[in-house]
Amino acid sequence: MAKLSVEAKVGFFVIIGIIILSYMSMKLGKLSFKRDSGYILKVFFDSASGLAEDVPVEIAGVEVGRVQTISLMNGKALVILKINSDTKISKNVKAIIRTKGILGDKYIELVQGTEQAPFMKPGDQILNASPATDIDTLMKVLEEVAININKLTGSFANVMGGEEGEASLRTIFENVKEMVETLNLTVQKNNTNVTQIISNLSDFSKKLKNISDTHSDDIRSIITNIHGASEEIEQLISGINKITTKLNQGKGSLGKLINEEETVNNLNDMLADLKNITEKINSGKGTIGKLIKEDETADRINTTLSGINDYIRKQETFRTYLNYRGEYLFNSGDVKSYLSLRIQPKEDKYYLFNVVDDPRGKDSITDITRTINDSTTTERIVETERDGLKFSAQIAKRYYDIGFRGGLFESTGGIGIDYYFFDDHLMLSMEAFDFDPDRNFHLKFKADYTPFNYIYITSGLDDFISDEGNESFFIGAGINFSDEDIKTILSNIPLPTN
Amino acid sequence: MIRFFEFTGKKFISIVEEFGKVMLLFLSAFLWMFRKPFRFRVIIKQMEFVGADSVSVILITGAFTGMVLALQTYYGFRMFGGESLVGATVTLSMTREIGPVFTALMVTGRAGSAMAAEIGTMRVTEQIDALYTMSVSPIQYLIMPRILAAALMLPILTIISDFIGIVGGYLVGVEFMKINSGIFMSKIIEFVDLADIFNGLIKSACFGLILSLIGCYKGFYTKGGAAGVGKATTQSVVYSSITILISDYFLTAAMF
Repeated sequence: MAKLSVEAKVGFFVIIGIIILSYMSMKLGKLSFKRDSGYILKVFFDSASGLAEDVPVEIAGVEVGRVQTISLMNGKALVILKINSDTKISKNVKAIIRTKGILGDKYIELVQGTEQAPFMKPGDQILNASPATDIDTLMKVLEEVAININKLTGSFANVMGGEEGEASLRTIFENVKEMVETLNLTVQKNNTNVTQIISNLSDFSKKLKNISDTHSDDIRSIITNIHGASEEIEQLISGINKITTKLNQGKGSLGKLINEEETVNNLNDMLADLKNITEKINSGKGTIGKLIKEDETADRINTTLSGINDYIRKQETFRTYLNYRGEYLFNSGDVKSYLSLRIQPKEDKYYLFNVVDDPRGKDSITDITRTINDSTTTERIVETERDGLKFSAQIAKRYYDIGFRGGLFESTGGIGIDYYFFDDHLMLSMEAFDFDPDRNFHLKFKADYTPFNYIYITSGLDDFISDEGNESFFIGAGINFSDEDIKTILSNIPLPTN
Repeated sequence: MIRFFEFTGKKFISIVEEFGKVMLLFLSAFLWMFRKPFRFRVIIKQMEFVGADSVSVILITGAFTGMVLALQTYYGFRMFGGESLVGATVTLSMTREIGPVFTALMVTGRAGSAMAAEIGTMRVTEQIDALYTMSVSPIQYLIMPRILAAALMLPILTIISDFIGIVGGYLVGVEFMKINSGIFMSKIIEFVDLADIFNGLIKSACFGLILSLIGCYKGFYTKGGAAGVGKATTQSVVYSSITILISDYFLTAAMF
């Protein structure tokens, strides 16, 4: 095996390190371009105790978003949830703070209501919220129960306890005992009396039997009287019956109203008409029927609406950035300037157009081959145009924290790779371009740090494997405007008025 | 009595003096970074020495540290049935603490001592004076490349150490201790943040700066022949290790 050169060894080592770092950050990092998409819901809790920012929001155990902020408003905890944009939540949803695991991590569970309810819009408030039943509240309830029991036993003790209570209890027991004893005594003493009472009762019933036997005729007449009365009642009922039959036959004004066939027919006709209309609507006849029944209509309205939605969404993610950066090259002491336009149709991809003013100028190489008497000579003319501008046009695509770029770099073909750190505040990039077989290709490493919006600082190594002595450190700065900012600036420029 | 005060004062002044010298050396090395001529080949040579050549040492120490961490935490967590947390514990300790510190200590032993010995030998054999006479700045030619290489290479060594340590922990936890591999991984993803890794890497870059600076300083100011070189080498390892462990506490307190 041929011995590796120093450069190859270091390069291999660095690349292994970067691959491991990327792999680990991919495993651990969230989808970076998903971080900003999503919508916000508000919810008020009586207590957000134990809840922290960035804890998950779950529906049926599936994470659908995160808690964004927790703040105090009107004595209640205002919790702002960021829900993934692909999750629809119905209006009658219920938010509950729940506890996970033995360590007691809190999270928010959303319990979906019925499906018919309309979906929540961004910024809506979840009305139905119940805080966690934490140990404290549980303890409070238990405490109340304990107090009540205490009171009860206390009053009981008041009644029973003490010498007075004891004494009264004792007297009660003594009284009961006495009563039972006297009862016993009475029964024993009056044993004969009791037997007599029973025999008297027996006598009495015998006598009663005798009376009914002797006066059986009287009793019978009483029964016949009752019979006669019931017959009279029967006659009364038949009279009432007669009146109702008259009514039924349509006699008298009341009967007429009830029995007139025409009225009934009219009513029947009316009902039939109504039925007819609803049938027509149901079968989709007539304009209203068509509107209501035609599936196509509904579909069309739906597609129109979703089309409008898509359009608006695309408009929202579409961004344009205008960017200037200057780099001071320590090697030559010159400033290299870039003016770039970045068009970003989606959050994870963009197109970049650059105009570069390179102090080293732009080389144009002409090879002239002459053949004189079978011998060819090649003459190379390198013209350097100091004021020449170079152009870049690149497409870029981002996966997680890594972005790839390809296209024209300073008027030559090339590729680039970007790595984003700390919520995109820091970006490391490596670019390779100008693949000329006669010399080493142009490698550029840079780190861009964006402490605030608009302004960033940059530092790096330019052309550091150059064999023409062009290698250089550089530091620089840049400003970056998005279309939103440009819009604001333009709308604030006073227009000339006549 | 006065002599005691004198002794304390002298010691204190010499410590402050030494610290100031180290800082001045760092400052001049930093400034020389931006001055021509740029000797990229020298820097890359040092990167190879500090970084690429240390990989085998780092792989072995990292793997066994991760394995022993998994073994120890497994016995601890088994007492209350928390075996599933072994992966997260190993990963957090590796990325936040053990990866950066062990890597720095290993590189101190391997490269920091070599820096002191090399520059020290050049000093006592008057090669550094020869550089001056050739109007080559020894700070730019000898010291700046070493400091830059160590500060750049230490994070890469650390990430390799982190990764191989987690792999070692996985091996012990999942293969030997039969923890469910899915739970092992999901707990890592649940509990470990990217910030844990990045802060560990920032720490390791600082350690790289410290160990190379102290190694170069001790070598650069070597006195007294071969014995002096030996002394400088020993001192550079001891001081670097102590400074790394002390600064580790303050860096951790500041970052996490």
